[in-house]
Amino acid sequence: MPHNTHLLRPALGGLTALALAVPTAATAQQWETRAGDRNWGLDISLILEGIYYNEMSHGIREPAGFDDGHDHGHDHGHGHDHGFDDGFNLGHNELAFEANLGDLFDGFLMLGFDEDHVEVEEAYLTTRALPGGFQVKAGKFLSDIGYINSRHGHDWDFVDRPLVNEYLFGDHGLQETGVQATWLAPTETYTKLGVELLQGDNSFIPYQGSGGSHTTNDGDEIRSSFSSVSGPRLITAFAKFGPDLGPDHAMQFGISGGYARTWQEETEHGSGLEEWDGDAWFAGLDAVYKYSSGSAYGHGDWRLQGEYFYREIDVDYQRREDQTTIAGNAQGSGKARQDGLYIQGVYGFAPRWEAGLRSEALGLTNRGLPTNEGSERNFAEPSFGTSYRHSAQVTFRPVEPVFLRAQLSQNDFVDEDGDRDRGLEFMLQLNVALGAHGAHRF
Amino acid sequence: MPFSKTRTRITRTLAAVASVAALALILLPAQAAAGLNIVATTSSLGALAREIGGDEAEVRVLAPPDRDAHYLDARPSFMAALRRADMLLEIGAGLEEGWLPAAQRGANNRAINSGQPGHFRAADKVELRRSITMDGPNMGHVHEEGNPHFNADPLRMAEIGLALAERMSELHPDHAEAFMQRAEAAADRLREHADKLAERVEPDQRIVVYHEDLDYLEEWLPVEIVGYLEPAPGIPPTARHLRSLVDDLEGTEGTVLYAEFQPPRGAEFLERNLGWPTHAVPLDPPADSGLDGYLELMSTWAQALPQR
Repeated sequence: MPHNTHLLRPALGGLTALALAVPTAATAQQWETRAGDRNWGLDISLILEGIYYNEMSHGIREPAGFDDGHDHGHDHGHGHDHGFDDGFNLGHNELAFEANLGDLFDGFLMLGFDEDHVEVEEAYLTTRALPGGFQVKAGKFLSDIGYINSRHGHDWDFVDRPLVNEYLFGDHGLQETGVQATWLAPTETYTKLGVELLQGDNSFIPYQGSGGSHTTNDGDEIRSSFSSVSGPRLITAFAKFGPDLGPDHAMQFGISGGYARTWQEETEHGSGLEEWDGDAWFAGLDAVYKYSSGSAYGHGDWRLQGEYFYREIDVDYQRREDQTTIAGNAQGSGKARQDGLYIQGVYGFAPRWEAGLRSEALGLTNRGLPTNEGSERNFAEPSFGTSYRHSAQVTFRPVEPVFLRAQLSQNDFVDEDGDRDRGLEFMLQLNVALGAHGAHRF
Repeated sequence: MPFSKTRTRITRTLAAVASVAALALILLPAQAAAGLNIVATTSSLGALAREIGGDEAEVRVLAPPDRDAHYLDARPSFMAALRRADMLLEIGAGLEEGWLPAAQRGANNRAINSGQPGHFRAADKVELRRSITMDGPNMGHVHEEGNPHFNADPLRMAEIGLALAERMSELHPDHAEAFMQRAEAAADRLREHADKLAERVEPDQRIVVYHEDLDYLEEWLPVEIVGYLEPAPGIPPTARHLRSLVDDLEGTEGTVLYAEFQPPRGAEFLERNLGWPTHAVPLDPPADSGLDGYLELMSTWAQALPQR
């Protein structure tokens, strides 16, 4: 789709040029480091986490409609299961490096690791010297859509990621490589607008490109029908507002959305190849309210937080038996329409102790991706029920950088046949931040 | 997928973004008056800035004076205030490290970046006392540069006022003379008031404080800190620690001082077991104070002790 590339490429190039050129120009005038001011060195912090997990009663593993809308019969390697074993688990550990280049750039690198994997979760530069309230971030980062998406587990109020974020944006949230530009309005009410141009290659925006091929059990080769689309393939935009409500209350509202001009997914079968090719968009609202009682150690404080996201994936679907033969009538166009929300509240019921409740719904609207059904392989656009989860937590912070959290979650998931079952999980989380742990965002 | 549909979507998205941006531009307030727009983290710094800036400065204080300035959120309203600021005054030495760097980064305003003339860090201008956090076990609350609670010392505040006037003069040379004069007058009043208050306090006072936030009283009042209610900085008093304090101080005279936002239980325990009077005192003047508010606060501290 060359037309779109023409639109996005120059925009990306322009932003990058702006990010690089403007601070350099400004440097000549007035960059000076004052003796004795904050050092510019490297700050390192380490976050260690251990989780004890116990599945007290077994329910339905996956909420219906979010595993590409049909039963694969095999794992794709990006399952949504958060993967705790019954018993002790090394949780999600992070090693973060932060440094500045004068006051021109902040650099940030966060490595996430567990027993088996080390992953670059974030690696980006942020400009600190653009005029007019602009800021540009470039690299791999967590998108600023919604509220929880850009926050690491250490800052969450519950052990696990909200379902809506996990199932619409993936196990790491919307985490992408690209460029973000924000503008903060010089207004009394905090008003931040932002745009992100992102590569668009993750579990929410799958991308295959051309050139793939698949061999069936009968030995037929099926070449993929996808065309290559160069990145960035995903554009997002967000706005955040925060009125000044005095010393006791603080609030922030956000609205965000994104458009992926390419959404390509395939599933290989012994008897053929299924392909979905199209585009997708999403939009959501988020709000957070914090009450500060003024007592020490968070006693009497409140935090309320909620998010809603909706997405549509508009695709052409086909299942082929060989290069040219469609299996039955497994061909057509359709839209998956899905959403989810959560709302949670946390209260500091005693100094250093807090308790919270979270309610979640996933798939209030739950129309899956087009697929085929029956032995005739007829084209179908399946609909599914809504899955729910309710969680309660108690957190104790013996000292500032340490917390111990117990969480009980009841999931009430629906499966693809419309049957529901309840499962109960218990989690105990120990999280410790060592070193120069950076300031927390609101 | 048809091309036209995609193109319409992109055009629509871009149009939406552009219209939101245009709307925001229309809603912008008129430029503030010609003075310096100053944002101070604490009201003690705010009081100095108001006194020195006079009509040539507009001062906004971020940390409510009745809250612990260690533990604040980087609120959206803080970032909105910093976005428009010409100058940011912070205490430094780790006091605001839990929230100010995030607020600065989120403010998209180079003028108040660390290292810029618009960023004034008071801890750089005075010599700090050693912080007890530097000696104890590392419990995640270490002030490596020293004790950042020097707002309890009017003599250091006088020095900071002079340094602040210098910095304000750099940013606003037209008013340099007025800034320097007001800072000198303020320094004189602070020193005189400190002397006057110190003379009225009974000599050789012993005090127990909650945190190391009133240590600097030793610098200008005839007091000696003989204990802390916290077993370690940032850790609430434990029964064991309080009992050992009582054992150490049994049979002596003194006063317990703590901040209004700190839990009173530890102080009450000492009052019951030692018979020491206890006072909850503010650590900073009211948010909208000028120098008079700070002078009054000094009186509150001094008068919590036995008077001659």
